[in-house]
Amino acid sequence: MTFHPDILCPFCGLGCGDIGIDLDDSGIAPRPSGCPQADRLFRRSAAVPTDARMSGTAVSMDDAIAEAARLLAESHAPLIAGLATDVDGVLSALTLAERIGATVDHERSDALFRNLAALRRFGWSTTTLAELRNRCDLVLVVGPDPAAAFPRLWERWVVPEPAFVPDGARSVVFLGGEPLPETAQLLGGQIETVDPGARDLAMLVTGLRTALAGRAAAGDPMTELAARLRAARYTVVIWAAGLFQGPQPDMIVEGLVRLIRTVDGTTRCSGLPLSGADNLIGANQACGWRTGFPLRTGFDAGLPLHDPERFDWRRRLQDADVTLWISAFRPEMPEFSTNGTVIILAPPEMTITPEPALFIPVGTPGIDHAGDVFRADSVVALHAGMLIDRGLPSVAGVIGRILAALDQTAKVKETAGC
Amino acid sequence: MLTKLAGGRLFDPANGRHGEVADLWLRDDRVTANPGPGATPDSVYDVTGKVVMAGAIDIHSHIAGGKVNLARMLMGEEHDRHRFTGSACGCGGGSGIATPSTHTTGARYIEMGFTAAFEPAMLGSNARHAHLEMSDIPYIDTGGYLVLGNDDFLLDLIATNAGQAAVNDYVAWMLTATQSLAVKVVNPGGINAFKFNARKLDLDEAGPHYGVTPRTVLTVLARAVYELGLPHPLHVHGCNLGIPGNVATTLDTIQAASGLPMHMTHIQFHSYDTAGDRKFSSGAAALAEAVNRTPTLSVDIGQVMFGQTVTASADTMAQRHTAPLAHPRKWLAMDIECEAGCGVVPFRYRDKSYVNALQWAIGLELFLLLDDPWRVFLTTDHPNGAPFTFYPELIRLLMDRDYRLAKLAEIHPDAPAHTTLGSITREYTLAEIAIMTRAAPARILGLADRGHLAPGASADVTVYSDLADRRAMFERPDLVFKSGKLVVRDGALVAMAQGSTHVVRPGFDELIERRIARYFDERIGLAIKHFRIQDAEIRHGAGPQLHPCKRREVP
Repeated sequence: MTFHPDILCPFCGLGCGDIGIDLDDSGIAPRPSGCPQADRLFRRSAAVPTDARMSGTAVSMDDAIAEAARLLAESHAPLIAGLATDVDGVLSALTLAERIGATVDHERSDALFRNLAALRRFGWSTTTLAELRNRCDLVLVVGPDPAAAFPRLWERWVVPEPAFVPDGARSVVFLGGEPLPETAQLLGGQIETVDPGARDLAMLVTGLRTALAGRAAAGDPMTELAARLRAARYTVVIWAAGLFQGPQPDMIVEGLVRLIRTVDGTTRCSGLPLSGADNLIGANQACGWRTGFPLRTGFDAGLPLHDPERFDWRRRLQDADVTLWISAFRPEMPEFSTNGTVIILAPPEMTITPEPALFIPVGTPGIDHAGDVFRADSVVALHAGMLIDRGLPSVAGVIGRILAALDQTAKVKETAGC
Repeated sequence: MLTKLAGGRLFDPANGRHGEVADLWLRDDRVTANPGPGATPDSVYDVTGKVVMAGAIDIHSHIAGGKVNLARMLMGEEHDRHRFTGSACGCGGGSGIATPSTHTTGARYIEMGFTAAFEPAMLGSNARHAHLEMSDIPYIDTGGYLVLGNDDFLLDLIATNAGQAAVNDYVAWMLTATQSLAVKVVNPGGINAFKFNARKLDLDEAGPHYGVTPRTVLTVLARAVYELGLPHPLHVHGCNLGIPGNVATTLDTIQAASGLPMHMTHIQFHSYDTAGDRKFSSGAAALAEAVNRTPTLSVDIGQVMFGQTVTASADTMAQRHTAPLAHPRKWLAMDIECEAGCGVVPFRYRDKSYVNALQWAIGLELFLLLDDPWRVFLTTDHPNGAPFTFYPELIRLLMDRDYRLAKLAEIHPDAPAHTTLGSITREYTLAEIAIMTRAAPARILGLADRGHLAPGASADVTVYSDLADRRAMFERPDLVFKSGKLVVRDGALVAMAQGSTHVVRPGFDELIERRIARYFDERIGLAIKHFRIQDAEIRHGAGPQLHPCKRREVP
């Protein structure tokens, strides 16, 4: 058995590089990291079935590739979704999408699009995790505790003493949400909660903006918070839009973005919109550079077309005749209902009922093969290494073979004069 | 594979050829000597009367990385309006003019006969992203200039008097870890100062927290680059970008270099004086004179052309000043990883705006008043002054005085009085264009086998028809070869090719790595092993192309 102390974690989007794992013939056993996701998802058994399955029956990889190519070539309204894979996997999926006229979307893109809607309308001012760690004297957490989705956020980026805050002191204020018990334990006395009663989040943000504009009613608890934002040296406003409840969550984001701009006019204030498990941010970045558009982009006769509503994968499932679902990071499926044919690329540990038309087992980036993933703050890309060889191909490898099979079919057709 | 380009006029200034008629031979991916009468080429192209040049090289073009992708996200309307299908050769579809997607970027460059473009503002923390994106741009060679000079680690080294040797080791370590080709400084110290809420920082003003002046940052970095023997001098985006009167700062910056080599980038944005009622006039003449008499300096222009674009820069401080002028009215800013930042502000340059018209004129004035084409480079600071697809139009403005005067007559009527442009008679020659876009960029970047056509050079070749309309000529070459492969014929893509990534790797004393490792653990929250980019990560395992550095001592 060998111990590896500093493994990079590709899962939630915080990019922790200090995961300890034990590796032996039976597989990978992670040491407790303080993160339930890493503890669960790094645990992999060496012996896994590597067969592809056609309607539940084991088939050779060659047959599976040929069948995938046939299904995708014959589809009229294909969807490539899930898209939980490394950057290479996403790029190959985009090449395939262009080739067959599919739309692409990531399983967890809801949170991203709440943020992007504000970005595309208004722009924003944001920051990154190392700036939070070193420069921030006031953290304003808006909505539910982001640690629910980013377990080690506070431990790694807020507990360490900030280098550029004169006495090292920083406060963490929760607005419209409660710290999780683990958060409360970690941050202890640094935490304050502003609870001005049962107003919803959108109202709270509006209330704070009103106070910043100096128009709050006398005695409004927002007046004091507004004064603290004005007095802080470098406030970071953190939100995880995926956790927002209620209608029009993008309007909450836009309110926050405007609030940040106001405060940043005289002192420093930046946002940290968090979303990004399973390389969501990497998928969006790669889609951005390859097509010029965010996710939820399709190809119509080779022309890219973006539609944040129509190309949401949940909507596309309704009319897609073939869905290629990619989930390389975790053996889990969301609720899924479609009348079309389903091809799944996922780790062999995945159990699916009913069995899809085609299941092709793939490795997990950062476990079965090396791969690039983006951190949730969108700037830092990380190269997660290979830990174990279980004979599982990468998503890019599988799609590369499907593309080659499509080329072959096209050539045969050309020769036959089709 | 042996290819013969027969009977063309070779413009190959690096080898002293200025239009001589000669055959050009390519063997596989290299230019080769005439193999003699017995040789039978696999293909022969009759290029009699045509103009033959090496592939063009853009030394400063924001083509990849976080800020470019953010700009694409912000400019949704522009991308909706400009969408492109792929070509049968395998180049994919995409979108955008000011921030084209990767395949579109490669296609537009190669269609104009450019075979290399360099990303001039790569942040260390974003380097892996930039490399991933650059390797997705087909056809052209790429590389990144690492942004330093606002990173807390460097400012701390300077503030604690760690010494030049430590700075040199750090710079060399960072270049290696990030697979970079050169060092760029952006608003030295200013981006860092903005994080401490300073909204302005002059050349000799001590910044907050560290008490270090931009002048010190600049000279320390210029010296590091010189002593490490990097081929490209320190690439400088100076202080006070875009501010009227900044030509004084720019002249001071030249002084600050005190004899050390320096490349001053997009100097058009740093050449503004304050004469006239509007307190905005051209400082081009004074700056050109200073550059002309300082042989250690090179510059690129950052020409403004009229129309919609988007500005993307690491200079958050300057972008905050520009933001109120955003068109459309939205903008982005980011503080990044105790290292730098980025600001993205959409902009529409209008010929009927006095300021924009003057910016256009100042850029042209600089081109025409700078007398050594080996030290001046054709750039629009893509996309900040204009998209790179405006180069053919810009070349026509430089080569055709009548055309230039006609355009000058169309701009805001008050602008011509505040520049000398109307009185300048110079027209660039084809030989000078070949220097400025081929030979000189290769030389200033240390790319020994690029930018020329001697045996052994990379077989990157562009063939043009010698048209009186220089814009039409440079917009649509007859033939473009990348690494010996014909990829463009009559303006259309006919085959796919991939370029290389160029890097330098000056050595360093490994002692510095311990200090950097501790800093990364304690401050950045990421072990250096995860930060460092391995060769195998570059271009899907192809690895980078290395260029030698020769250590030197400051005399």
